[in-house]
Amino acid sequence: MTAAIEVVELRKCFSSRQRAPGLQAAFRELFRPPRLQHVAVDGISFRIARGERVAFVGPNGAGKSTSIKMLSGILHPTSGSAQVLGYTPWRERRQLAYRIGTVFGQRTQLWYHLPAADTFALLARVYERDLSAHRRRLEALIEALELGAELHKPVRELSLGQRMRCEIVASLLHDPDIVFLDEPTIGLDVSAKAAIRDVLREQSRRDGKTLLFTSHDTGDMESVCERAIILHQGRVLVDQPLEVLRREHIRVKLLTLHTVEAECSVDLPGIIVLSRQPHRLELEVDLSRLHVEQVVQHVMARARLQDLTVSDPPMEQIIREIYGRASRAAEAASNAGVGASP
Amino acid sequence: MSAAYGKYLAIARAAFWQRLSERAALIGRIAFYCLILLVFSCVWRSIFSAQEPLGAHRKAAAHAAGDYVWYLALTEWIMLSQPTLYLDIESDVRSGDIAYQLARPLSYVGGKLAEGVGDLLLRMLTLAPFGLLFARLFSGQWADGRGLMLAALVGVMAALLLLLCYAAIGLCAFWLHDCTPVYLVWQKLLFVLGGLMLPLSIYPEWLRALAQRLPFASMLYGPGQLVSHPDAGRALELSVELGAWVVLAGLLVLGLERRGRRVLELAGG
Repeated sequence: MTAAIEVVELRKCFSSRQRAPGLQAAFRELFRPPRLQHVAVDGISFRIARGERVAFVGPNGAGKSTSIKMLSGILHPTSGSAQVLGYTPWRERRQLAYRIGTVFGQRTQLWYHLPAADTFALLARVYERDLSAHRRRLEALIEALELGAELHKPVRELSLGQRMRCEIVASLLHDPDIVFLDEPTIGLDVSAKAAIRDVLREQSRRDGKTLLFTSHDTGDMESVCERAIILHQGRVLVDQPLEVLRREHIRVKLLTLHTVEAECSVDLPGIIVLSRQPHRLELEVDLSRLHVEQVVQHVMARARLQDLTVSDPPMEQIIREIYGRASRAAEAASNAGVGASP
Repeated sequence: MSAAYGKYLAIARAAFWQRLSERAALIGRIAFYCLILLVFSCVWRSIFSAQEPLGAHRKAAAHAAGDYVWYLALTEWIMLSQPTLYLDIESDVRSGDIAYQLARPLSYVGGKLAEGVGDLLLRMLTLAPFGLLFARLFSGQWADGRGLMLAALVGVMAALLLLLCYAAIGLCAFWLHDCTPVYLVWQKLLFVLGGLMLPLSIYPEWLRALAQRLPFASMLYGPGQLVSHPDAGRALELSVELGAWVVLAGLLVLGLERRGRRVLELAGG
């Protein structure tokens, strides 16, 4: 499969002015202000094939937005290279802009006092679209996102969910090959999130659009993406398909047991009781110490089972665990360094 | 018109309709326009009648005061029609919104200027009939029709130059973050050396000579004096002068945008 995005050792450093306390320092800084270098993206490399849906995951400050800004041509990297649809984004930003769509959850491209329909008509001009193709695409997107009367209301009168659906239409209207989405579901309710996720997944499956998706909501990632790139302090910590991510990083299983008896005691090492109610027990099983089968046998020896559910922990917990391991490894490395120093 | 330029026209059109929907702001502007013309017409009437208290001279004094009201109506029309483009650009730079706007296939400053032109056009068209009405009411006389026509044509060019100057002030936000000090200095110079409230003809000779060498005078005093002194030759001369300033201001805006974008590309949004 040909690459939509190819990134090699991309790095971005920012320098910011530092202010020391005191009058003397203030005068000195007038002539030579001290600056502090900060590495936002630290040599990341990855390749995304056309039509792939990739989640860019990481806590605040991990370098997700900076990476997306470099890939959409807004920022120049300090070093490294990137190709997006064969363009070098920061050198050919204008040409690339016709072929990418962007949604930045906290920014808007809609005109606040005008109906969204007016912004869509304007976007047809901005992206130099054929008007009949534009109309067809608009109709399809309106139907998919269930927008009707809202289109003709001034944007200021729309709810956040309706506005975000309009933002998604605006970003897909010119039929881009790649869509960069930076927290597109932030602050939305469950149904608005679901509508947006469905459309994005469908657009990618049917039209082969490549999606690069950042979100703090792992639900977005699970329902839209097939691969995750997890960033930590500007570096790629994990780059794997979601399936592999689950398989390799799941250390526990969640067991929900419904019993005929009101009470059932479980006292095995490697088990945490998450909740206990009459006839219902929720357990977390540490797979390094026990098999699920052993737990089930243990319970069956003490009570009659009515129902049993085995599930994976939520993706959020998996990611939290990956970060926890990375932090512990970094700490261990730094302690080893301190110990080795003379 | 090619699609590449059609997009800027579409932005100007959208800005026109967007501003039209902000009725309260438009009404506020019209009320301020009315108030300022009323106050100054009273001031000038009292100054002129104190200078020329007798018979036939009183009529001449009233006429001169009326000319001043029409002069102010024209200069305020140009000033009050100006959108706050510098604030929009400053806000984009400070909030980082500019970075996201760069991901579209159009020039950032071109888009902002197109927005400004749509906004400016709406305000000029809305304020013009009220300007005529208030000036007629408060001055008690009609201005020369030809003078008004020439002044309005040159006034539109002056307003476009002013818009470019505001864009340049807004782009200073890349380095200063807060453009208000630059704007305040610019505004005071424009009021004093441009002759917003008083025509330069009553300034001392040395100050008038200095003011006429600067762009401020061609933005306000030039179109303003055409109302009571209609002169096609002078109007043409002013248009050429304004055209030259527009080219210079346009180059300044492009230069500032290019350097500012470089700052953004390296330092982030």
